[in-house]
Amino acid sequence: MRTIRLLALMLLPLAALYSWQAKGHHAFSAEFDKEAPVSLEGVVTKVEWINPHAWIHLDVTGEDGSTVAWMVEGGTPNTLLRGGVNKNSVPIGTSIKVRGYQAKDKRCVPACKANGRDLTFSDGRKVFMGSSGTGAPKDGSDPRDRR
Amino acid sequence: MDVFNQLIYDFAAWVDTHQWSTALHESFYVYNWIESTHVVALTLSLGMLFLIDLRMLGLAMADIPASTLARRLSLPMFLGFTVMIITGLLLFYAIPVRSAQSLWLRIKLVLLFAAAINAWLFHRRLRTAGQSWDTAVKAPVRLQVGASLSITFWVLIVICGRLIAYDWFDCRAEPSSFIATLAGCIADQEQF
Repeated sequence: MRTIRLLALMLLPLAALYSWQAKGHHAFSAEFDKEAPVSLEGVVTKVEWINPHAWIHLDVTGEDGSTVAWMVEGGTPNTLLRGGVNKNSVPIGTSIKVRGYQAKDKRCVPACKANGRDLTFSDGRKVFMGSSGTGAPKDGSDPRDRR
Repeated sequence: MDVFNQLIYDFAAWVDTHQWSTALHESFYVYNWIESTHVVALTLSLGMLFLIDLRMLGLAMADIPASTLARRLSLPMFLGFTVMIITGLLLFYAIPVRSAQSLWLRIKLVLLFAAAINAWLFHRRLRTAGQSWDTAVKAPVRLQVGASLSITFWVLIVICGRLIAYDWFDCRAEPSSFIATLAGCIADQEQF
């Protein structure tokens, strides 16, 4: 009886933590909105090639000519390297297209924020820039989803 | 509080200028290894700590004398704590400014301080409690209180540590002025 009580006591917080941890560094749904897919075409203004997540900042010009600043979260530098991109792949001034999902926090402070799924260069080359297993929608952008 | 926050920010911004800090922040493997080691060491130290605490509450290995169990498990526990502290400091060193302004890390440090005081009191009570209860199922009430507090503090510490990953209250996202003060955001700061 004591053993069962002890097991229950130890398993409860573990189960709670596991369901949380199972979703990668941080759970997609905690910060990003799967109902708000975005497709952004813009010019790279800044690149933060850092752990635990890289950030690509870009200026997106709308049809009316106004510019909106976006920052798009990618995987770790390691994941990105294995996916075929490094810090030098996206120099400032490069035109890129990014598909992803906007943050739940849509205040756009200091820039509109999104979780990046795939990144297309102007020559048509496309790479997966997200992390696998974060709970992001299975939209076909992650090559590991199909396995 | 503003002076305190400014001091912390200046220190973190200074750490951020270190070449090794940037190297860790941008590393392909080492950061990930440090982060994983930090979490794996947690299973060792807290695994041992919780067994000792549960023994005091009469919930684990009640047939083993409490002092024997505590003595045998403390070495692996302290090994785990040492690895956790070293890797934890390295994680801070890799991302100094954002970490120094993380609301969760700040709560975590207060809880760590509370857990340390509790551990110190626990050991003092353990020494003065004598051996008469050593083979009893439960430890004296004062030690049981310490053991319960220890479990509570550490569960909260792990949860706060986990939440550092989330950016809801980051200074970059300009939180409310109350949160900004608690998190240590500086007006017009240049680094995040």
